[in-house]
Amino acid sequence: MSDYEIRLVVNGKSETVTAEGGETLLRALRRMGHADVKLSCEGGDCGACAVILDGVAVNACLVFAVQADGCEVTTVRGIGTEDGLHPIQLRMIEKGGVQCGFCTPGVIVSAKALIDENPDPTREDIQRGLAGNLCRCTGYKKIFEAVEAAAGDIRKGDGA
Amino acid sequence: MEYIRASSVDEAIAAAGSGAAIVAGGTNLVPDVLFGRNAVERVVDISRLDELRFIESAGGRIRMGALATVTDLLGSDLIQREATPLHESAVEFAAPLVRNRATVAGNIMDASPAADLAPPLLAQDADVELTSAAGRRTLPLCEFFLDYRKTAVRSGELVTAISIRPLGEGGRAAYCKLQLRRAMAISVVSVAVALWMNEDTCVDAGIGLGAAAAVPYRAEAAEEALRGRVVGEAEIDAAADAARESASPIDDVRASVDYRKKMCGVLVRRMLRKAMGLPEAARA
Repeated sequence: MSDYEIRLVVNGKSETVTAEGGETLLRALRRMGHADVKLSCEGGDCGACAVILDGVAVNACLVFAVQADGCEVTTVRGIGTEDGLHPIQLRMIEKGGVQCGFCTPGVIVSAKALIDENPDPTREDIQRGLAGNLCRCTGYKKIFEAVEAAAGDIRKGDGA
Repeated sequence: MEYIRASSVDEAIAAAGSGAAIVAGGTNLVPDVLFGRNAVERVVDISRLDELRFIESAGGRIRMGALATVTDLLGSDLIQREATPLHESAVEFAAPLVRNRATVAGNIMDASPAADLAPPLLAQDADVELTSAAGRRTLPLCEFFLDYRKTAVRSGELVTAISIRPLGEGGRAAYCKLQLRRAMAISVVSVAVALWMNEDTCVDAGIGLGAAAAVPYRAEAAEEALRGRVVGEAEIDAAADAARESASPIDDVRASVDYRKKMCGVLVRRMLRKAMGLPEAARA
């Protein structure tokens, strides 16, 4: 076993953690208290652990924590604030895109990455953009509606 | 597990030579380590070797650095124009969260029979550049896959780039991945065809098949049925029959041997017709 001290800037705040060489970024983040990054399949299939790593949306379970040394990590908590939710978060609540809530952090991270890249996504763009995020409750329709509405809000300049 | 971050290609080669596994995007290796499918003691991380991340036109071919990601393929006008099957395979590849990390070299190094990028690369005559302390050698991708998840890479060698033949003026191509969902799916069978035409005559042909045998491969007899000929219905049918006969797939949860073999024929016929601009054939 080899341990490495690494530094991560999580949601704008610099933190250090000691990680074993084979530990995933997902497990390290959760040990650091970032439980908003959800642990589910750990195989890159479900998207529940999605974070934005140096500007790129990734599954935190598919990255060794040490690979991310020195990088910026944005979790769902870093998208909007508790007092000022991001339009995606507001629309997820309003449209009923949240049921059990387990997939929600990853869905919001993927939706943020999608809208940043493509401010006016079609329904198919949204379906493809969120294809790596599994939701077992909503049937996706309400999630897609929420992302579509949020993209519209952002284009009109309502928040974010 | 010991972790080494390579700061140069030479350093990565040295570490690979002393038995370290190579990690870049990590989309295959990280869960394999986590679930104990791969008892790696040391890894060398090449993901920060920016000099290996490029897609360029060079010497009449398209060269992709080992760290070009699947998302990079999607963003490349060169790939979209000159390697349409590779572009389409990138569209169907997993989902954005995986595409953002997964690299072209990683996909072939994993050597899965269903490696999504392999059939389009094979169809466009891909070469793999392997760099070691002794220098560089180039291997055709069709000689790179030796057996189920076994490659021709020697200890101390690093895949540094992959190059393909562009479609160019007379190039016609098509791609199809048969899958149960248009994302995050392991292919049932996948087919890429590329034809280099001079008027109606096929000067050269590449047909790559995935999930049809222990390794992704070129259906050489099918290519031979087209090369040097005027490509019409009879030639396409002969190539499709040859592709079906060439397949030696497995039975698994996704499909049976018989179904996969049949689909190799059906999809090669369909892709050749599509590439040649012929209408869809009546169902046999």
